[in-house]
Amino acid sequence: MSVIEFEDVRHRMPNGVVALDSVSLKVGRGEVVAVVGGNGAGKTTLLKHMNGLLKPSSGRVTVFGKETKEESIARLSRRVGLVFQNSDHQIFSESAKEEVMFGLKNFGIPPGEAEEKAGRALEYYGLADLAARPPLTLSGGEKKRLCIAAVMAWEPDVLVLDEPTVGQDYPSRSRLFGVVQGLASSNRTVVIVSHDLEFLWPLSPRTVVMSKGRVVADGPAREVFMRTEMLRDAGLREPQLLQLSRRFGREEPFTAVDQAAAWLTERGRAN
Amino acid sequence: MAHVMAEGFKFRYLKTPVHGLDPRVKLLMTAMLFALALLSSNLYQEALVFAAVGVPAALARSLKRLLRIAALSLTFSLMIFAVNMLFGQPLLESAVITIRFLGIVAATSVFFVTTSPDEIEYVMRWFRLPRDFVFAFATSIRFVPVLMMDLTQIIDAQRSRGLEMDRGNPVRRIRNLIPVLIPLIVNALVRSGELAEAMEARGYGAVSRPTSMHALLMKKNDYAALLVLVPAWSLLITYFLGLL
Amino acid sequence: MGKIVEFLDYTFEYSGMERPAVEGVSFSVEEGEVAVLAGASGSGKSTILRSINGLIPHMYPGRRSGKVTVDGADVSSTPTYELARKVGFLFQNPENQIFMFTVEKDVAFGLENLGYEPEVIRRKVDWALGLLGISDLAKRSPSELSDGQKQRVALAGSLVMDPKILVLDEPTSLLDPRTAQDVVSLVSRLNKDLGLTVVLVEHRLELVSPMADRMVVLSGSRVWAEGSPAEVLGREGLHEVGLSPPAIVEVQKRLPSGDGLALDVDGFVRRFLADVGHRV
Ligand SMILES: Nc1ncnc2c1ncn2[C@@H]1O[C@H](COP(=O)(O)OP(=O)(O)O)[C@@H](O)[C@H]1O
Ligand SMILES: Nc1ncnc2c1ncn2[C@@H]1O[C@H](COP(=O)(O)OP(=O)(O)O)[C@@H](O)[C@H]1O
Ligand SMILES: [Mg+2]
Ligand SMILES: [Mg+2]
Repeated sequence: MSVIEFEDVRHRMPNGVVALDSVSLKVGRGEVVAVVGGNGAGKTTLLKHMNGLLKPSSGRVTVFGKETKEESIARLSRRVGLVFQNSDHQIFSESAKEEVMFGLKNFGIPPGEAEEKAGRALEYYGLADLAARPPLTLSGGEKKRLCIAAVMAWEPDVLVLDEPTVGQDYPSRSRLFGVVQGLASSNRTVVIVSHDLEFLWPLSPRTVVMSKGRVVADGPAREVFMRTEMLRDAGLREPQLLQLSRRFGREEPFTAVDQAAAWLTERGRAN
Repeated sequence: MAHVMAEGFKFRYLKTPVHGLDPRVKLLMTAMLFALALLSSNLYQEALVFAAVGVPAALARSLKRLLRIAALSLTFSLMIFAVNMLFGQPLLESAVITIRFLGIVAATSVFFVTTSPDEIEYVMRWFRLPRDFVFAFATSIRFVPVLMMDLTQIIDAQRSRGLEMDRGNPVRRIRNLIPVLIPLIVNALVRSGELAEAMEARGYGAVSRPTSMHALLMKKNDYAALLVLVPAWSLLITYFLGLL
Repeated sequence: MGKIVEFLDYTFEYSGMERPAVEGVSFSVEEGEVAVLAGASGSGKSTILRSINGLIPHMYPGRRSGKVTVDGADVSSTPTYELARKVGFLFQNPENQIFMFTVEKDVAFGLENLGYEPEVIRRKVDWALGLLGISDLAKRSPSELSDGQKQRVALAGSLVMDPKILVLDEPTSLLDPRTAQDVVSLVSRLNKDLGLTVVLVEHRLELVSPMADRMVVLSGSRVWAEGSPAEVLGREGLHEVGLSPPAIVEVQKRLPSGDGLALDVDGFVRRFLADVGHRV
């Protein structure tokens, strides 16, 4: 069953820009979907349709079988949790703990239970020691994880991440990779928007490529990422491991450094 | 909502004879219209004021925008009207006062509808207003749309966390603003900090009298406009003052 | 040639903070080089950059020791507007460094501040716009531009002052990979064509290491390594200091033969095939 479904969706901004055009897309339960594309491709606009923040100008968006036009944003958000790109656009509390409690309170979860859920979320995302800290004093990576924890606390069925790795350093990126991998292996439904193909490649999820408001490709990363020209036109760059695979004419591309190194060592010996 | 407002704030440059005038001429014209509107003392004169405002507005293809601005100030006008009636002014007097107010709004709007913030900044520089003041004016206008985008994104983020801004009693609604206002202020502070760094890095304040790449220059059509404006205005104002 | 930027046992602590943001830092950049400054966030990269154009100590108060010299001048005793002529600065977010309502006016901003004659400003602005290929945007309003175009406008605004050194603080982190590549290539071209010295902070090492002459790695406020990118990226322990070398470097580190690193895929493949060919 599909959890989120776009049927021929078009979205026109008040200033006339058509940010989404003929978009059809299904996200199944337990699926991890990457949405990739350059700046201005329409990725954020797409995400905002997933919890009803934006409604299609034409076409239909259904979430768990209900059309988003008929549902409140709050009800949709309960099931589809969105984490936006800029953490500073949502952090406002006096402590990390309260930041996580905010959503739980809004959704009417009883205080005792909310406390417990917030504690668990902080723990899971490695923020337990920082629970009392004012979130504005956290590092960029900690803020990002706090924003994810603040959404995952109410246990939405779907997690939607907008450009989680933008501006993050390597330690934060690798922790985020762990988070996404963890969610994927526990059969969560995750939609992750990114133009960071180096980050996505080892995960190789189903990948939807957007360009100028349209979906220009949709399929397994290993197939989609092979279409170099298309990626370049969409403002993206091939990950180095893939570039390497292509240079050696490999059908099955390398997804890990160790794998590539082993193969090259073998090949070096063979000659 | 916020981005609709941001759009509204945006000045739209149209290629019309009025938009193309030197901003100082446009300012003078506005001042003249303003004086007329202020001095109009009966319905007949007020009709003349609207005609006088209407001509440049029409030439600037901005009648509709002007009407929209006038419509926005209508509630305020009705208040003026009500207050006047309440204080025992006769109906006609109250109408004249209210319409005069509308005339003043329309006259002033001619300037803002036809003059970009950029040109306003030039005029301010030309008047040799203090540099800091002119710069503060320019950046605050320039950052209105940026802060509006921040606001949209903040509201979207918090609504995605279950915040329902227009629910509950008035006290609750005011409390609902906190999760929106705090990030907005924090972001504005961050931006202004970065702005200050960038100003410094580009030599702001190096000399006490910075120069300007552009100088305002009167062109043929500016003189032509003055040639029409000044006599027409002189005629009307003498009439308005009852000297004719 | 010679040292154009030099840090000597430099320490800076922002006032009100408990520990120095950079401590005992010594390194130098030669004239005409591209130097990449790398390190996890909070390691002190921005603090170093601010110390090059004088925002530290002139704008940020704090405790300071050691010395920073830029083009022969001691930064602490040179006013920021003097340094503004020598050092062009590009920040991460172009939105916050564009002040004016049209592109050309914004590019003129720095020269107006320095009190240049209008004709001179005109000429230099046209030159800078042409250099960055944005002459057609001259009359446009910055708010209508794409992120990549905004970054170019901001760059033009620095270059117009004809600096010797260009300092860039994570200039591409908000851009998509292709636009980021464009900006990096542009910077590389400016370095070659104008002989501009470049000091660049960037997380995506695969993007910048091929064009860099020097790499300085900061870790916990101190310099952890300095050298050519191949030397620095060849070291062990990069992950521990919060850096991820490009995938192609990681691959090479796991291969048996290992003298010198290629920094991009093409370079590596060429070398690998030549090596293999040798042994046949
Ligand atoms: N609030 C808005 N008003 C007008 N245009 C917008 C707005 N938000 C986005 N756009 C435009 O819609 C297009 C898609 O934007 P967006 O969904 O943010 O792209 P992405 O997230 O892929 O970078 C862009 O051309 C952008 O300029
Ligand atoms: N304006 C400031 N005031 C006080 N402390 C600061 C300021 N800017 C940075 N710091 C501190 O200095 C240290 C180094 O920061 P920074 O130079 O910004 O690192 P990076 O650019 O590598 O992320 C950090 O601990 C940071 O908290
Ligand atoms: Mg986006
Ligand atoms: Mg920094």
